[in-house]
Amino acid sequence: MRESVKMLLHYITGVLILITGAIHVLSGHFEAYGLIKSAELYSINKLIFLASILYHALNGVRVVLIEFVPKRWFTDSITLVLIIIGLAFFIYTSLLIF
Amino acid sequence: MKVTFKIFRFNPAVDSSPRWSVYEVEVDKSATILDALLKIKENIDPTLTLRYSCRQAVCGSCGMVINGKERLACFTRVLELNSNMITIEPLKNFPVIKDLVTDFTELFVKEKTIKPYIIRRDLEEMMKPVGMYLQKEEETLSYLQFAECIECGLCVSACPTVSIDRLFLTPMVLNKAYRFSIDPRDEGFEERLSIIDSEHGCWRCHFALACSNVCPKGIDPGKSIQYLKNMITSHSLLELFLGRTKKKKKTELLERPHISSEPEI
Ligand code: SF4
Ligand code: SF4
Ligand code: FES
Repeated sequence: MRESVKMLLHYITGVLILITGAIHVLSGHFEAYGLIKSAELYSINKLIFLASILYHALNGVRVVLIEFVPKRWFTDSITLVLIIIGLAFFIYTSLLIF
Repeated sequence: MKVTFKIFRFNPAVDSSPRWSVYEVEVDKSATILDALLKIKENIDPTLTLRYSCRQAVCGSCGMVINGKERLACFTRVLELNSNMITIEPLKNFPVIKDLVTDFTELFVKEKTIKPYIIRRDLEEMMKPVGMYLQKEEETLSYLQFAECIECGLCVSACPTVSIDRLFLTPMVLNKAYRFSIDPRDEGFEERLSIIDSEHGCWRCHFALACSNVCPKGIDPGKSIQYLKNMITSHSLLELFLGRTKKKKKTELLERPHISSEPEI
């Protein structure tokens, strides 16, 4: 994947964190008013929030690490390592949500 | 006026660590830092090593860190520094060859990877030119500011990203990639993409603008890097959603029968 696509996704997930995070907090706060009525929708919102946070945070870590360790082999392998960590974390947490 | 110069000295071939040499020099008001350094070399210490050529901010050889800021020695007057104590160091982020002379080899290797020249798809036309490409004034103006680079390396020395990430393409090289990619005659943007849109390409620029702050030619490499990001993003989006990229408007070829690759005998 080209770096521009990775960075574009970084910016998009940043916006998604803001939107889904706000929905999550507000619907919890105003539960009595039923901002999100369906439990499934609530969980889907949580899932998007989780996926966005994971991508945004791990990509941030990747950017810092590839700047601090400017070696070609490290640049190539760190992306793979972080994808595996991200996927494992996502699968585990989604199982907890549903 | 009498000015004290504190100059960085280091010869990696014999010295284990750098040292400072201090010289008191009588200079006149209009003297440049280069004049003062040459005065020191000619009259006080012939071992002092520096690089220069044109003496008029054209060749880009005399970049150094003068009183904490990257400047061209031939383009900086002693008076403008407003101080009787002047500290001179070699450019940062480059290996030192000797004293104020730094090694640009790695930078030029990086520059080569982005193909800093006009690329045309038609090889036949490139090898056997039959005319020249007409450019409208606004087409020339669209890249003129970014074409003034003298490869002095001041921006590379000032860039905080280069100081951490040695693989970062550098503001000088990225500016050059933008300068050629927006040139209406060029068709090589996609050929440069794998390098400029890589992990150590333009996305590592944090837009601190330290580069633009020191450029003696007013190029503003920080700005051209942001334009380059914009260009790459539009290209990626078009490719991702429409499966195609924007066609560049072709410049008009003005046939010139006297331009031929075959020399006439
Ligand atoms: S704007 Fe970018 S290239 Fe220029 S100094 Fe800052 S990080 Fe380096
Ligand atoms: S962009 Fe400016 S500072 Fe950088 S190498 Fe070119 S002329 Fe020098
Ligand atoms: S001597 Fe050529 S730029 Fe200073």
